[in-house]
Amino acid sequence: QRHSQQDSHIQYERVGADVTMKCGSMDWDAAVTWTANGTDIDDSHLNGSYLILKNVDLTQSGQYSCYEGSSWHLKYQTYLRVGVPPKEPLLTCRSNNYPKGFYCVWHLPSPTYIPNSFNISVIHGTREMVCEKDIFPKNRCHIRYLQLFSTVKYKVTLTVTNALGKSSTTLTFDEFAIVKPDPPEFVVAKPVPNNPRRLEVSWQNPSSWPDPESFPLKFFLRYRPLILDQWQHVELSDGTSHTITDAYAGKEYIIQVAAKDNDIGTWSDWSVAVHATPWTEEPKHLTTEVQITETTSTSTSSFMPPPTTKICDKGAGVGS
Amino acid sequence: MAAADTPSATLRHHDLCSRGIRLARKMRSDVTDLLDIYVQRQGLDASISVAAVDGVPAAAAERWAEQTGTQRLLDNLAAYRAFRSLLAQMLEEQREQLGDADAELGPALAAVLLQVSAFTYHLEELLELESRGAPAEEGSEPPAPPRLSLFEQKLRGLGVLRELAQWAVRSVRDLRQLAKHGPGSGAALGLPESQ
Repeated sequence: QRHSQQDSHIQYERVGADVTMKCGSMDWDAAVTWTANGTDIDDSHLNGSYLILKNVDLTQSGQYSCYEGSSWHLKYQTYLRVGVPPKEPLLTCRSNNYPKGFYCVWHLPSPTYIPNSFNISVIHGTREMVCEKDIFPKNRCHIRYLQLFSTVKYKVTLTVTNALGKSSTTLTFDEFAIVKPDPPEFVVAKPVPNNPRRLEVSWQNPSSWPDPESFPLKFFLRYRPLILDQWQHVELSDGTSHTITDAYAGKEYIIQVAAKDNDIGTWSDWSVAVHATPWTEEPKHLTTEVQITETTSTSTSSFMPPPTTKICDKGAGVGS
Repeated sequence: MAAADTPSATLRHHDLCSRGIRLARKMRSDVTDLLDIYVQRQGLDASISVAAVDGVPAAAAERWAEQTGTQRLLDNLAAYRAFRSLLAQMLEEQREQLGDADAELGPALAAVLLQVSAFTYHLEELLELESRGAPAEEGSEPPAPPRLSLFEQKLRGLGVLRELAQWAVRSVRDLRQLAKHGPGSGAALGLPESQ
């Protein structure tokens, strides 16, 4: 019966490393048994009482325990975590709520398989600014602008550290350069009654943009019939609606809108796409009695209303 | 002179603000073009960072959203009066350096100087409308620049143009705030705290 006695700890090793584990204070030539996640390890991996793991890989992460041969006392236990040092993190900073502040978000280009810690520093001139970390997502933080219209660049440095190494990325940018609104919201497109070539499009400023009156947005509308690949574009310097007047009659359209601060920064991503088809005249199913007599006298009409058609034309009152 | 809050004053105020916004946006676009020409003609690296330059009004503003309308106008006026002198100095230096051979930088500088002067006048009109009157010009002349090496002179010019470009954007924002609240609005024109 195995007795747990020895303190266990976590041991981090790089993928591909050779790992040697001693059985706590036991001599080299002591009789011991090693287990990995509770399974005995065969002697081929032992050098005396030392456990030798060659060119470890991710699958060899786990709990390793060493028991004294006769008493089965646990003499050593460790949790082996096989991983890699962090690569240079990818960092992006953006202001989607100008002029309130900006956020930075980051991620690692590839997993490390072991825990990482992130530290971000934001320097503006000689001043270090606080980046308030979001609870969720964990890889994002916010900075409030203390100054506006500054020619001094911002310098953001993100350092990622784990037990096997450290890496960092630095971004330097101007205040205006990172301003990028969120896409417009509540985009709606509607046909215009009695206008077979018009579509009325409306939208709202992104709710994240705090003061559209003092910091107005301009918009870019793109639209095309589903049957074509070529978009048509129109830029609108103010207002949150537009009437498309050159739509192909009867064709379903796909429409998107983007936004940009009137004076600085870059365009938002495209909004969610909406679909609409211009107004079309109601097909006339029934022709009145007069028209029937006319058609029979002038030509042998090919149109024969199907016996089930419900005659709905109020004026003529023909058959119902 | 019409009191600050009569209908005609309000209309005039709105007109001055919207014309001022258009002028500031045009000025910003021309200053951005001028910056490109300047960097190229002066053989500078566009990404070079320039420390704050003495005598050049910094556009950076803290608690900008809390400024009153009058504060905005006074800050703007002081800045553009200073830029007027700075650009005149630059034009003079540029002529000494490059003479008439330069058919691009000089005219571009002169055009921006003209816009800065026009905008300064515009701000003075707005201040008149605020029944406050524009402060006298004395004392707003920036100190004569210290004797600088040619390279230092070029860097200083770059600093001036960069700050002016930022000021032009700030002025657009300031005038929008003013337009929002009408003449004689000494109150702080804050940013809505909705978000």
